Amino acid sequence: MKLHRTLVTCLATTLSAAALAGCGGSDDGDSSGSGPVDLSYWAWAPGMEAVVDLWNEANPEIQVTVREQAAGDDLVTRTITAAQAGEAPDLVQAEYQAIPTLVSNDVLADISGELGDEVAEAFAPGVWQQVTLGGEAVYAVPQDSGPMMFYYRQDLFEEFGLEVPTTWDEFADTARALREADPNRYLTTFSANDAGLFAGLAQEAGAQWWTTEGDTWRVAIDDEATRRVADFWGGLVAEDVISNEPMYTPAWNQALNDGSQIAWVSAVWAPGTLTTAAPDTEGLWAMAPLPQWNAGDNATGSWGGSTTAVTNDSEHRAAAVEFATWLNTDPEALAALVTEGGVYPAATAAQTGDALAEPPAYFANQPDFYALAAEIATGTAPAAWGPNVNVAYATFNDAFGQAAESRGDFAAALTTMQQATVEDMESHGFQVAR
Amino acid sequence: MTRRIALLPTAALLLGALYCLLPVAWVLVAATKAGDELFATFTFAPGTGLLENIADLNDYRDGVYWQWMANSGLYAGVGALLSCAVSALAGYGLAVYRFRGREAVFSVLLAGVLMPPVILAVPQYLMLAEVELTDSYPSVLLPLILSPYGIYLARIYATAAVPADLLEAARMDGSGEWRIFRVIALPMMLPGLVTIFLFQFVAIWNNFLLPYVMLSDDEKFPITLGLFTLLNQGSNSPALYTLVITGSLLAIVPLIALFLVIQRFWSLDLLSGAVKS
Amino acid sequence: MSGTRRQAYGARRRAPYAFLAPAAVLFLLFFALPIGYAIWLSLHRIEVQGLGLGSGARSEVWAGLANYADALSDSELLASAGRVLGYGLIVIPVMLGLALLFALLLDAERVRGRRFGRLVIFLPYAVPGVIAGMLWGFLYLPSVSPLHYLLDRFGLPAPDLLAGGPLYVAMANIAVWGGTGFNMIVIYTSLRAIPAEIYEAARLDGCSQAQIALRIKIPMVAPALVLTFFFSVIATLQVFNEPTTLRPLTNSIPTTWSPMMKVYQDAFRGGDIHAAAATAVVIAVITLALSFGFLRVANSRNRQEEAGR
Repeated sequence: MKLHRTLVTCLATTLSAAALAGCGGSDDGDSSGSGPVDLSYWAWAPGMEAVVDLWNEANPEIQVTVREQAAGDDLVTRTITAAQAGEAPDLVQAEYQAIPTLVSNDVLADISGELGDEVAEAFAPGVWQQVTLGGEAVYAVPQDSGPMMFYYRQDLFEEFGLEVPTTWDEFADTARALREADPNRYLTTFSANDAGLFAGLAQEAGAQWWTTEGDTWRVAIDDEATRRVADFWGGLVAEDVISNEPMYTPAWNQALNDGSQIAWVSAVWAPGTLTTAAPDTEGLWAMAPLPQWNAGDNATGSWGGSTTAVTNDSEHRAAAVEFATWLNTDPEALAALVTEGGVYPAATAAQTGDALAEPPAYFANQPDFYALAAEIATGTAPAAWGPNVNVAYATFNDAFGQAAESRGDFAAALTTMQQATVEDMESHGFQVAR
Repeated sequence: MTRRIALLPTAALLLGALYCLLPVAWVLVAATKAGDELFATFTFAPGTGLLENIADLNDYRDGVYWQWMANSGLYAGVGALLSCAVSALAGYGLAVYRFRGREAVFSVLLAGVLMPPVILAVPQYLMLAEVELTDSYPSVLLPLILSPYGIYLARIYATAAVPADLLEAARMDGSGEWRIFRVIALPMMLPGLVTIFLFQFVAIWNNFLLPYVMLSDDEKFPITLGLFTLLNQGSNSPALYTLVITGSLLAIVPLIALFLVIQRFWSLDLLSGAVKS
Repeated sequence: MSGTRRQAYGARRRAPYAFLAPAAVLFLLFFALPIGYAIWLSLHRIEVQGLGLGSGARSEVWAGLANYADALSDSELLASAGRVLGYGLIVIPVMLGLALLFALLLDAERVRGRRFGRLVIFLPYAVPGVIAGMLWGFLYLPSVSPLHYLLDRFGLPAPDLLAGGPLYVAMANIAVWGGTGFNMIVIYTSLRAIPAEIYEAARLDGCSQAQIALRIKIPMVAPALVLTFFFSVIATLQVFNEPTTLRPLTNSIPTTWSPMMKVYQDAFRGGDIHAAAATAVVIAVITLALSFGFLRVANSRNRQEEAGR
């Protein structure tokens, strides 16, 4: 640490000597003393500025400035780097799976002291547990969630005489039946380019990837539940009854648009993606609950979703918590988040609120879209995240990408994912139960 | 001497031009497509939405796109100018004078390109944070001024274009070193310098990583970073492809304009003219 | 008289240092110090206490050469180096060959469309890497590519450009497309610096354009060729943009396809700046050995030629 200081001070002195007066740095959040409090907020959700404007108008004493950022895993590292330099914003938008990483790097403040007791009540326990990491502390306020669902082309299902699958066995049969009826089409694809989807499917099956016992982590990425999911999809890919091409490519867009793929396992935000990916098929899609492992269950996983967190660098923690609470629990704020940002709120009350009374435009043919979504969301399985989700996700991309490409062994890919994750944790000194 | 057109070479050049132009043509075509046409119609079939796309881009968050464009212009313009000046000084110093450690200095300066920028960005951020300079215009400008490429080029051009006997003659006339550089050498190096300016301008204009690490205030973003935020809006909202493509097309326009301006300096033939006199 | 001469001499001796001062200061601040810091980082690692949650759970401790040992024994890094080698063997000869060819064509008489060619061949350099990757990605994907559309029309089999051997060609093509113009301009600018009277003599001897190009122009721009080669090697070893933007389109490009992707992966995704710094230093040292070894060979070759003349 010493040399680091010396180097830095050395640069500091030289630069100050160069005296770049007038072009000085950030003025975020250090307006201590009297006058209104200024909070900076890193967020990526589109339309966030409009929502924050509502707050700013009503709260002249606490003014929030949105700094629009690019979403993604890299933002986590950027936030950590900024915190290391003491330059982190007061508030950040953070995905659920990033919270342990941010906490581990001492970026997020424990806001349990400032937060009202009633806030926890506003969210489903499975959601709330992800911001407490199962302990006494609270590290963020949930904003949106992504309960997973099954999307399918209603017209083509009818044309080929297919039933909407309610279990994964039926799902496999549907995939086979479609291939037989028309060898040019696939039911859907297994894509290795978004680990979030796979994680959600594993949650539905009951997986708990990271858990803690005392001072020890337990990593269970290759537990029975996840293995079941991996084997299931690996089998379908090997059989060539579903495609192995990645999602979110122009080719995938086209496949959805021209009906070469007629279903998509996705989450509540899928309508937005379908609007741009498959514009010609508006009104032909329908949404149903995710197929189940045990017939009659109502389980689902989450894909996506984020929180509002307060950083340790914030000098106005109470004000920041007040804003974060308002943003994610106040009916007016939530309604604005829905209309301005297309967000599916995590707050339970808002999921059946007025703002979600109408279905998304793309799903005008399914008037009860959000009513059904709220029902599905009640079965959301809790997710359990650890401090190196990014490493696990990157290994997923590589190992499952290779396995999907060669239509090979998904179980081996899962083992690789487990091993890489454990090794990374151990190399940093985490206690990991073997 | 005949003035016939050399057919084969001309054909080769035009073929090369075609190869380079095709994907650019794609951007041009794609920018005309409305959101629902982009992935749905044949790649090179023009769409119907160019003006709409530009209007959308203009409306996006109160025209922040133009702010990004202006920022890029500022970073690239000022940065390239300073970079050019520093390169010219250093390149001239290395080319004209013999002094102890010349090659060592040169090698060390060049070795700067060996360290991947990815790994320099974080230390640069932490250091600038110590002097409260992050998230400011200088944080993006300063680290990009020194260009090993530029110094190397400037040295080559100075060696080639500035004849030693001319400098010696000027010294005999009693001119100071600075004056010799400014009045005699600089004009001779000009075509080389505009090339350096062009390269640096483009390099800074297209730079992504440094501003990404340094900036959090989106009103200071350059265009690359701005477009990147349009592509990464989080999992529940699709990337704004049409805006990105239209935005990229518009971002190339200033670079083409700059290139056309700079082309004229190359045709002046200052170098050979100077040698003749 | 002798006093002023001595004064002038002194000024002349001090002059190069004055000319180099701005570059030296900037180098120290924005290269040397960060490099020193990166090396410092590479010798440390994070150690976690307990669950690693909350404040004070992480501390930076001395790691010695452990990060380097990890980097050198990392099979992924070795594999990525192999991939980049294959990629570089395509990119560098093709790109520099084309750049030299186009530069000579631009400098040749009797070739039409030179202004146009100069602008258009340089144009791809102005397209940001991310956009370039995106648009070539479009042109590679079977279901949307005009190339596949044409092949299909003629009943020809369409190759999968994003897997196996063709992937290298596809990747190299993007680099060649984006980099040829830059190198062409470097070579072209040096060609313009050759005094015209050198050609006059050759013409009087009855040399053809092609002979002039081969015997006079190419040797005269040798320094520029060395320069472009040097920078191309570095750019190849640091290749990052093309594979990164193509990666989401296919299952065949792992997150550690190139060494630089591995560095980025460690530093910006995995959050392990210490491992990333060690890998980066290893890459830098290898690049240093390669490029300066080459420069030495090139210089001695030049000297021999000069001596031979």
